[in-house]
Amino acid sequence: MNVKEYISSGIVESYVLGLVSEPERQEFEAQCAQYSEVAQAKETFERALENALVQDSIPPPAHLKESIRSSLFPADQSYQVNDLEEGQAPVRPMNTWKWLAAASVVLLAGSLYWGVTANNKYNDLKGLVQENQKLKKQLTEASAQLAEVKISASALQQPDVKMASLKGTPVSPASYVTVYWDTTSKDVFLMVNNLPQPASGKQYQLWALINNKPVDLGVLKMSAEKLIPMVQMKGVQNAEAFAITLEPTGGSVNPTMEQLYVVGKL
Amino acid sequence: MNAKITYEEGELISLLKQKDEQAFSYLYDNYAGSLYGIVKQIVTDLEVGNDVLQEVFVSIWKKIDSYDASKGRLFTWMLNIARNAAIDKTRSKNYQQFMRQQPIDDNELSHPVVRPGYDDYGLKKVILKLKDEQRLLIDLSYYQGFTHDQIAKALNIPLGTVKTRLRTAVTQLRIMLS
Repeated sequence: MNVKEYISSGIVESYVLGLVSEPERQEFEAQCAQYSEVAQAKETFERALENALVQDSIPPPAHLKESIRSSLFPADQSYQVNDLEEGQAPVRPMNTWKWLAAASVVLLAGSLYWGVTANNKYNDLKGLVQENQKLKKQLTEASAQLAEVKISASALQQPDVKMASLKGTPVSPASYVTVYWDTTSKDVFLMVNNLPQPASGKQYQLWALINNKPVDLGVLKMSAEKLIPMVQMKGVQNAEAFAITLEPTGGSVNPTMEQLYVVGKL
Repeated sequence: MNAKITYEEGELISLLKQKDEQAFSYLYDNYAGSLYGIVKQIVTDLEVGNDVLQEVFVSIWKKIDSYDASKGRLFTWMLNIARNAAIDKTRSKNYQQFMRQQPIDDNELSHPVVRPGYDDYGLKKVILKLKDEQRLLIDLSYYQGFTHDQIAKALNIPLGTVKTRLRTAVTQLRIMLS
């Protein structure tokens, strides 16, 4: 075989890139074992490719390392075991110290027991405190929501409030939203009768249509990843119809018409 | 982790085989960016790309005992794991359904994988310099994982031509990289 020709045939690069068939792979590995030039050419291309790909690096999101690490090392037990092993002193038979040693073992056992019990109690307490904080947070959130709903509800009883029923489009036929528009104060309120939870990274956005042009009335806020049933949106001076589209979080400048969920005239 | 450690490749591999946590950390810090780079060339969605990178490191960790240094460098081995994992992901039903639900602008399945961008360095830059017909073959075989047979049928050219052109293309790559 002409080694030079073989090397320059493209087989080396194809092998490294994983673009060879099984027989070609076996043959190439055999050639590598037999001719050091082939192995050398392979190694050279591997290094060149590696350098090029280092330049194409994209830093992954920072949280990813920890999430992978914790899936590979669930409880970090390896560290603890090592620490214990290193901390242990070698045992030597020394009769003079026998009693003293025995006494210290008892003492150690006692203090360990005390330590473990205290630690358990501490953990229990910590758990309770956390639980308490969680409940407190939920209560605050719920009260805030309730207050908001109360304000909205009283606003709707004003005589100048007009109502628009926004019905589902083919994108989401079961969706249904009611928009209340105060013709005096120009306030806009929205009631979510039925809308699917948006996927993460997405938010619903309300639009008013004036002369068939969409005007942004803000995105539907979420609370604890749930849609708030009744919200006040941005006010609008005039409107012929309202519509809701699903947009990337934060909303868009123009509505994505393929993601039109509900629409209705005033 | 505080002190900057560098390992020789052999040393790193033997520590990885012993499942040393610091060695994992070192491996991640030094290679995650390059592997993420190749994954992102194949899988465009951010979340899915993250999932694939996670799968890649888990499988490196699990398969490290089967790594054979006589067949190639550690990086080459990891690169192939990353490439295969990313291609497998694009073939999965879930992913295809997911991409169909994305707005048309984001769905680039029908476009070539290697796209020009403001950050064209390294391999990407070199591939963009190839002739169109060569780039297409690299794209279909390396980034999209099609077999020579499939490519021949899809492009309606003889299998032999696919092979020859691809060999020329990769030789060209090597020349431009060195």
